[in-house]
Amino acid sequence: MLAFGNYARSRLRSTLTTLGVAIGTALLVLLIALATGAEDNVKRSIFSIGDLRLVTVQPFQPGATGLSAVPRTISDDLVAKLKAIPHAQSVYRQYDAPLGTLLEGGEDATIRPQGIEAGAPVDRGDLLAGRHLEPSEHAVAVIPGNLARLVAATPEAVLGRKLTLRLGGAVKLGSTRIGGSGTPRDYVVTVVGVFDEQASQTSVRIPLEDALLAGADNRGLTSDALRQATGYSGVAIESDDSQYVAEVVKSVQELGFSAFSLKQVIEQIDKGFGVFRGILAGIGGVALLVAAIGIANTMVMAVLERTREIGIMKAVGASPRDIRAIFLAEAALVGVFGGVVGLVLGVLGGRAIELVISNLNPQANPAPIFVVDLPLALGALGLALLVSLVAGFLPSRRAMRMSALSALRYE
Amino acid sequence: MASPDQVIVRATDVARVYPTGATAVSALDGVTLEVRRGEFLAVMGPSGSGKSTLLNILAGLERPTRGAVIVDGADLSTMDEVALASYRREKVGMIFQAFNLLPRYRVLENVALPLLFAGVPLDIRLERARAVLDRLGMGPRADHRPSQLSGGEMQRTAIARALVTEPSLLLADEPTGNLDSANGEALLALISELHARGQTVVLVTHDAGIASHAQRTIHMRDGRIVN
Repeated sequence: MLAFGNYARSRLRSTLTTLGVAIGTALLVLLIALATGAEDNVKRSIFSIGDLRLVTVQPFQPGATGLSAVPRTISDDLVAKLKAIPHAQSVYRQYDAPLGTLLEGGEDATIRPQGIEAGAPVDRGDLLAGRHLEPSEHAVAVIPGNLARLVAATPEAVLGRKLTLRLGGAVKLGSTRIGGSGTPRDYVVTVVGVFDEQASQTSVRIPLEDALLAGADNRGLTSDALRQATGYSGVAIESDDSQYVAEVVKSVQELGFSAFSLKQVIEQIDKGFGVFRGILAGIGGVALLVAAIGIANTMVMAVLERTREIGIMKAVGASPRDIRAIFLAEAALVGVFGGVVGLVLGVLGGRAIELVISNLNPQANPAPIFVVDLPLALGALGLALLVSLVAGFLPSRRAMRMSALSALRYE
Repeated sequence: MASPDQVIVRATDVARVYPTGATAVSALDGVTLEVRRGEFLAVMGPSGSGKSTLLNILAGLERPTRGAVIVDGADLSTMDEVALASYRREKVGMIFQAFNLLPRYRVLENVALPLLFAGVPLDIRLERARAVLDRLGMGPRADHRPSQLSGGEMQRTAIARALVTEPSLLLADEPTGNLDSANGEALLALISELHARGQTVVLVTHDAGIASHAQRTIHMRDGRIVN
């Protein structure tokens, strides 16, 4: 009751102090919302790449990357061991046949034939027309939409067409022509499906056995000999839940192979964004600190100005705690008002910035840039309150310790 | 000498020394005093005689350097700040020469203020404050601010604030000092009337005419009682 009255009295000063807290809070909210929004966007685009339950086994020793990678052969023996890893629900082998060209698409239609098993994670849920690969099929392919359009008007029209894949030999990559390996050979496949080329514009999905055969042809080996000599290009392990991904990765590494998972990438991103968010929160925190100094200043003034009033209240029986509570309540009031106003300002400010950006760069479905979630909102309010109480602590203690008699005589 | 339960204030050999730099100033120098329940006592003396210091000690606003002050069975000289605050809240009501009202609050809120610190709920606070104001004829002024009142009305408000907790002891420090003679007389009549209804009053003044309203007068000089 007393706190409200005092707030109302020195309205200009209280308003200015509150504004300081509001601006500090708004800045903090905006900056953290920006970090959260950026993280959300990055994660969303990663989620769109693939499944978090997946672990990809690569034909390298674990740990090394890039040029220092030490190659290792993914043999059938290893695949059997991978299948035995706990929580490895399904294991899909992959073999990449030599690069080549889709003859009907002209020499720019360079392709990377991916030999996969039916049901493999790469061949799921992204069809424009037709179907995915099925078990025990041969001489079929699922091709990207951009290649389909080189051959026919619509994705549907290319279904059932027989196309020629010329694998091995020289291919065009961009504007340069590279030598390639072995002698080119032609394979005729029937198109059974067309997938959205967002995933890849060059991949052609073919049955694993076909790819192995093409690879063996290219090197003049039998399919079995090829499997022993070079092994598979990779293996996709699908765990029964993303929570087991780290365990599966560890098991793969213990078998001596490099393993990659989006889950772990996301954990890395989390860490990275934690630092980013911390830096931004620090900047916002400085603004709030400046506001806290404002509160402390206002409270020191208020205590001084109301010395006589403090004396009167003490004379009629206010205990030291009562006096402290009055001034702490005033500081808390500034904190809560400032926090609420700051939160609203922060949210509205974020919306306004998003509106300006979407006007400058119109997109059909823009991703939010600022994300204010419940923990952020509550945290900002709590922090504003806490900062105010801390700032009000010393001035209120000063009021508390004032001698009643000398306060009464204060002019 | 009065029997113990009739004595409300018993001060024994009370001294108060103010340390001012190298030399100490002795405001009270061995005062021994008894006030009986229901008594109206005036403390007279020139300025600097120690009469206000004595009153402030009785009010629990400052502590004696030496001696014991027992009011209503409790020894003020051993109390800490918190205990003194509750003593001021429960046992004494005080009025000052300068009224000491809070200018930003209405008369009613000023009178109810001591009850706030006693933890009395708002509606009961206001009800009791209004009852006291009505009794002192200040009911119509309850919603005014102190600045809208005359001096006499301000001091009546201060008395209402002092009485709202029904204290055992009413202390008055030069209560008519800022009032014209008519208002001063009216105020003394009011204090006499409160006394007639059983209120114990200790009044400090330098004016013999004012002291003459009391039952008993003690005189002070240089920190001692001289009569």
